[in-house]
Amino acid sequence: MPVSVKVELFGIPRARAGVAQTVAIGHDLGDVLSDLAARFPELATSCIDGRHLKPGFTANLSGNRFVTEPDTLLREGDSVLILSLDAGG
Amino acid sequence: MRREVPGYHGCYLRIDVSDGTSTRTPLEPQILRQYLGGSGLGVAILLHERAAEADPLSPMAPIAFVFSPLVGSPLTTSAKFAVVSKSPLTNRINDSLASSGFALAGKKAGHDAIVIVGQAQQPSILVIDDDHVRLEPAGDCWGLSNQATQEHLRNRLGADFQTATIGQAGEMQVLYATISHDGRHAGRGGSGAILGSKNIKAIAVRGSHRPQWSDPAALVGLAKQLSEKSFGPATAKYRELGTASNLLTFNRLNVLPTRNFQEGSFAGAIAISPEELSVARDRARASCVACTIGCEHLYSMKNGRGSVRLEYENLFAFGPLCGIDDPEIVLEASRRCDEWGLDTISAGGTIAFAMECVQRKLLDEPWLQFGNGQSLLKALDSVISGNGIGPLLAEGSRRMAHRIGHDSIAFAPQVKGLELPGYDPRGLQMMALGFAVGTRGADHNRSGAYEVDFSEAVDRKHVGPESAPLAVETEDKAALMDSLILCKFLRGVFTNFFAESAEILRFVTGWDVTASELRETARRIVTAKKRFNILAGWTPAEDTLPSRMLQKSAADDLRGHLSLERLNDLISAYNQARGWSPEGWLSQADMHSESF
Repeated sequence: MPVSVKVELFGIPRARAGVAQTVAIGHDLGDVLSDLAARFPELATSCIDGRHLKPGFTANLSGNRFVTEPDTLLREGDSVLILSLDAGG
Repeated sequence: MRREVPGYHGCYLRIDVSDGTSTRTPLEPQILRQYLGGSGLGVAILLHERAAEADPLSPMAPIAFVFSPLVGSPLTTSAKFAVVSKSPLTNRINDSLASSGFALAGKKAGHDAIVIVGQAQQPSILVIDDDHVRLEPAGDCWGLSNQATQEHLRNRLGADFQTATIGQAGEMQVLYATISHDGRHAGRGGSGAILGSKNIKAIAVRGSHRPQWSDPAALVGLAKQLSEKSFGPATAKYRELGTASNLLTFNRLNVLPTRNFQEGSFAGAIAISPEELSVARDRARASCVACTIGCEHLYSMKNGRGSVRLEYENLFAFGPLCGIDDPEIVLEASRRCDEWGLDTISAGGTIAFAMECVQRKLLDEPWLQFGNGQSLLKALDSVISGNGIGPLLAEGSRRMAHRIGHDSIAFAPQVKGLELPGYDPRGLQMMALGFAVGTRGADHNRSGAYEVDFSEAVDRKHVGPESAPLAVETEDKAALMDSLILCKFLRGVFTNFFAESAEILRFVTGWDVTASELRETARRIVTAKKRFNILAGWTPAEDTLPSRMLQKSAADDLRGHLSLERLNDLISAYNQARGWSPEGWLSQADMHSESF
């Protein structure tokens, strides 16, 4: 059953999408990325490749676990954070 | 006659500023291959100069400006130099890197490093004009800011000289004073205080000796490929937003140090974020010489007061760490540190610590409050004026805690005396390990362990000792980057960093160097730094974190908790992964291996 999750965007993903957050629907991370790619073409071009994030980007579930596998299952109430991989500065 | 290795000059210039004499000390090819340049060659030179045993502010203490085999090559981000010394802030090894024209000019003067010892009779400018060295009086620029001094020397000596200067902080020997060149700083650990102690206001250098490359055509081809990759997605964050874009991410992950690490997120973060500042203010980009990334983002100040470089570290240190959500204050504090030559991380960390001491009524300075921007600026002013609390702040948080007592050392935000950068180690526990074992203290540039925290490899809030080798790997990569030298913002463009670095070195030097040799080189460099520290008095007890960060509080449910026992397990596993004793001691063979 698909669930509705909050998507929070940071750094380049936020700049490309033009929004700080949105809502997406899907069973798993890959579904959410596909949904985002369909709705935000610039995000698709630079950060998303099908059901995967492109190199240089990562996802995090609800501020806790970092995930990249598109089959990662999501639960109602999850937040999916999409961010640039390198933290240094 | 000694054969010169391509990419090198095969010697360092040793200058005694007590009398202005200089000598050329040979650097044998074997030493160059074992330590490369930058941080690695710097620590080898310092061991040879017996710097570990010296008081870093005494005349005999050496300070080395070290170039690298890649400086002057067409490789992007390679115009960098390392300033290596014993730190007056930590009394341990310190290697700070900076960029741009000084590296190019310094290497063209015909040496792989410039080592300064002694103490000038009067405030002086050290002028290195190819092989000619002279001291000029600095009377007319003593007391000037970095920018004013560099402008003054451009007019006085000519634009073909490149200058590295100290501001007022270095003159006063503030223990976290920087050395500045063209707006960039060799920032951490107080190298500016060492130049100040030697009465050297500036080093001006120009030269005409271009090193040769072993395979120039291949090197140019590879440099083009690297430049093309540097325009790609791996560097987009730095190019388009700058490092300051970490702020909102770290805030969301509860690892944004706030009010002297009392909290991990800051309600005022959005107001000072680059996303917000980009809307409200003009923004310009800049880059170091020979860099295709262009990570520098300058934001305009109000009332036409110019623009200021904003990095994540000065943003966090003068923003959340001090509870400040006024961007104009953050920019103004950053501007003052640029001009005076203060390390922003140590300045912000020490002032935030003082604010908490006031909060706890351990310090009778009621004006110094979290969230009060004017009190932050007043505190910075006092460091330079030497009035009021200034002399206390000028010593950094560790010494300040020892003077205040009442176990305030428990919440002084430092490791080995070096203030923590903007990563809360409770929620980034690989970074916690990197901070604890770091040879120059709490540092995000010598250990890139946060990269592991930002991955699926570990649970960042509960890292176990089995992950310690991952911290070794990131530290080794950093040691190699800092010795080649290449900018760390380039690291994402490499698919096999050690193998690609070996290819670069082959084209530059002609050595038949391999990836596995460079892994050994990196380990040798980290071990040499540890050896330096042991000679300087290191004990295992200093590889730790402030004790407050090892005690659980209510906020730790969000931020993460790391017990002393687990940190010690991590440290022991790290030491054993390095081939050291579980406590971190080196073998007799490592301690007595002769560098030169």
